[in-house]
Amino acid sequence: MKTWLRIFFVGGVISFRALFSWIRPSIYIPTMLLGPTTQVLFFAYLGRTAHLKSDSWFVVGNAVQSASVAALFGMGFAIDGERWTQTLSAVLATPANRAALFLGRALPVLVNAAVTAATGFLGGALLLGFRMPWSQVPALALVLLLASFACTGLGMLTGAVGLRMRDVPIIANLTMAVLLIFCGVNIPLDKLPGWMHRTADWLPMTHSIAAARRIAEGASLRSVSSELLRELALGLTYLLVGFGLMRFFEQEGRRLGTLDRA
Amino acid sequence: MAVIEAIELRRTYRTTTGVIRRKPLEVEAVRGISFAVEQGELFGLLGPNGAGKTTTIKMLITLLLPTSGEARVLGHNVVDDAREVRQRIGYVFGGDRGLYERLSAYDNLRYFAELYGVSGKAQRARIDEVLELVGLKGRESERVEGYSRGMRQRLHIARGILHDPEVVFLDEPTIGVDPVGARELRTLIANLIATGKTVLLTTHYMFEADALCDRIAVIAKGTIVGEGTPTQLKANVAGGRVTEIEVFGVDDAAVGRLRGIDGVTAVTVEDRDQKQLLIVQTTSERELTAPLLSELDGVEVGRVASREPTLEDAYVALVTAE
Amino acid sequence: MTRGARVFWTGFVLHFKNLSASPFMMVTAAIWPLVYATLAFLMFRATHQAPSLLYAALGAAVMGIWSTTATSAGGAIQQQRWLGILELLVGTPARLILVLAPITVAIAGIGVYSIATTLLWGRLLFGVPIHVLHPFLFAVAIPAAVLSIGMLGLVLASSFVLYRSASNLSQALEYPIWLITGMLIPLSLLPGWVHPLAWALAPTWGMRAVRRAAIGGDVGVPLLVCAALTVAYTVLAFLLLHHFERLARDRATLALT
Ligand SMILES: Nc1ncnc2c1ncn2[C@@H]1O[C@H](COP(=O)(O)OP(=O)(O)OP(=O)(O)O)[C@@H](O)[C@H]1O
Ligand SMILES: [Mg+2]
Repeated sequence: MKTWLRIFFVGGVISFRALFSWIRPSIYIPTMLLGPTTQVLFFAYLGRTAHLKSDSWFVVGNAVQSASVAALFGMGFAIDGERWTQTLSAVLATPANRAALFLGRALPVLVNAAVTAATGFLGGALLLGFRMPWSQVPALALVLLLASFACTGLGMLTGAVGLRMRDVPIIANLTMAVLLIFCGVNIPLDKLPGWMHRTADWLPMTHSIAAARRIAEGASLRSVSSELLRELALGLTYLLVGFGLMRFFEQEGRRLGTLDRA
Repeated sequence: MAVIEAIELRRTYRTTTGVIRRKPLEVEAVRGISFAVEQGELFGLLGPNGAGKTTTIKMLITLLLPTSGEARVLGHNVVDDAREVRQRIGYVFGGDRGLYERLSAYDNLRYFAELYGVSGKAQRARIDEVLELVGLKGRESERVEGYSRGMRQRLHIARGILHDPEVVFLDEPTIGVDPVGARELRTLIANLIATGKTVLLTTHYMFEADALCDRIAVIAKGTIVGEGTPTQLKANVAGGRVTEIEVFGVDDAAVGRLRGIDGVTAVTVEDRDQKQLLIVQTTSERELTAPLLSELDGVEVGRVASREPTLEDAYVALVTAE
Repeated sequence: MTRGARVFWTGFVLHFKNLSASPFMMVTAAIWPLVYATLAFLMFRATHQAPSLLYAALGAAVMGIWSTTATSAGGAIQQQRWLGILELLVGTPARLILVLAPITVAIAGIGVYSIATTLLWGRLLFGVPIHVLHPFLFAVAIPAAVLSIGMLGLVLASSFVLYRSASNLSQALEYPIWLITGMLIPLSLLPGWVHPLAWALAPTWGMRAVRRAAIGGDVGVPLLVCAALTVAYTVLAFLLLHHFERLARDRATLALT
């Protein structure tokens, strides 16, 4: 196997193990699968309380959003957790291809994020009677993957910031809070103040959620293609900026000796 | 009546090995240990890593149930009368965990004072007293996260004696402390005895045990392999003298010949760069330097010295004897 | 004060201090209630059939109490073990429940910060009037809610320390409890079989007491139920911890080494 490919996978598996050192299914299932479902339920009922939108509107929004939780935290922990175990500088000391190294770390996080979102839908289907045409499932899966990708990009950025600061969890929390409020997950975009609405345009997830809602109602991929392209572009941008920042901090960290700061 | 009494104490740990396929595994950490510590005595437990010292202590301080056997502290059974025992003992583990980092030393102490029932007016005075005793007076309002290893260790000791316990258990209290700090801690421990407390101590530093302990038990693989005062231990094992011979390139055959000499009880070889140090334990009846050297005929010999055995010699002989 | 009360109080004060000095704890305790308050404000404001914004602010505030409890109290005993303090605590002559209860109650207590911040946030950003009908009852209801929710946290902590594979469930309990205890969603909207479950949970009654003290309604019954639940949880935690201590001494699980 090509070296960079091996690093890609090995790095990925290690980061995944760090992420879920409790990978045993008895724990993974309740936390990762129960989380999205209960979130979907909570907001659907909150929507009923406020007489705001239909249950399916909340199911789609929150299921896609739960992917962001997984992606953001996953990416942050994949890097931060490593510093905890003091292995980061050991890894960075290797001549391994940096891109393969970090992207390898991102892959399992991405997959996990998509699975998480899928369970949100499943929960909505089972408990709230959420229904959508079966024929739309492939299109929806694509959107989910795209949303997870875009959020992983953002996660890369926050993870990079984590290389410099000790408070990755705090940053991840803040980012999640912003996504939850701004991206039209639970509040229709047109009910947001103008500046929030405009900011949302530049965040990952806003466009995937909008696209996912329309696809769930039967729209074709083509009809939401502009949203999807926009999301793809955003994801790529975040990923590249995050990656660049990470390389920059890595250099700096070597110079300043802050990589393994416990 | 003995203050600490251990009768045929045993402890087996059940764990699992393997990540994928877990296999049950039994570790016999302590295999029938008996000893007694008298009022006012400083009793040392020595032994290699994994010998079972900590396990023994944890059973005595009620944190671990013995698999079989019995133990009493101040007459109270450690299994059934745990609270009585806990009220009357103090214990200190080495290392820098076990403290609330974000709280001040004073708050850490205040908390444990309350848990040990030292409250009201007496509390302030007592905390001041122990702070003075361990030499942390003046630093008590700082957060523990800024404390050095030695300061943490003192704080641990302060916590351990807050409630003026009659018996104090110290498990490697000087581990990782610099020589000067360790010496101060030893003075502190000696002072505990001076105030009438009974102390059980474990350590890996032989000179420390030699300097402090009234009596010592050496544990290896969960059983006691030697017990007595430091003087007795030295005398029993080495019988008499130790001869150290510096040699350059000694072979196994020569070492074998040395072992064959009548009166030689043990020979150990320590490698020192290009040379080796032969540590030869002999009985004291005969002067053996001459026969030793004659067996080393043909080997380049450096410095030769004869000395009294140290506790370390005694310890090494005990734990290496099969 | 009796010795038990002193142990509890000192422990509570010190753990509260210790937690307040943790940036992560403080930031999450400060941010999330504000996030949920904001969400609720924006959602409720968008329609005209929703409950009032003060209702939402109080709900988000008490959600904060449960939030810190769910995320931190469930693992509180584990945490002490990681710090290497659990065996020191067990080694003291104080009763284990008196040593551990202050920890989970202090964790719930951190949520009190969120009451202040959400009310202020609502006032400043959304113009929600801070109008408390019965200030005295409000001042009683908050500690009652904290104590009962903190004791529920202790029940969780002691079950999770016994059944370790369940311990990651704690965080997954955040939304479900918010959902069924009437924090923002009236109980009447939920299916009937959920109601008995909600009644057995302290957050339901703590929420009711706090909200009614502020907006109006009978506060006495919720307060009484809070007290009764506190007692019930205490008994349950006592039994669990008793079992845990014996088991831990047997299996050598007090320390990590
Ligand atoms: N909780 C535990 N579970 C399983 N095995 C254990 C546990 N604690 C100790 N052991 C094992 O029991 C044996 C004795 O350990 P113990 O800690 O008592 O040794 P020790 O004499 O204190 O060693 P050291 O000098 O390294 O502190 C070791 O083999 C150790 O691996
Ligand atoms: Mg030990």
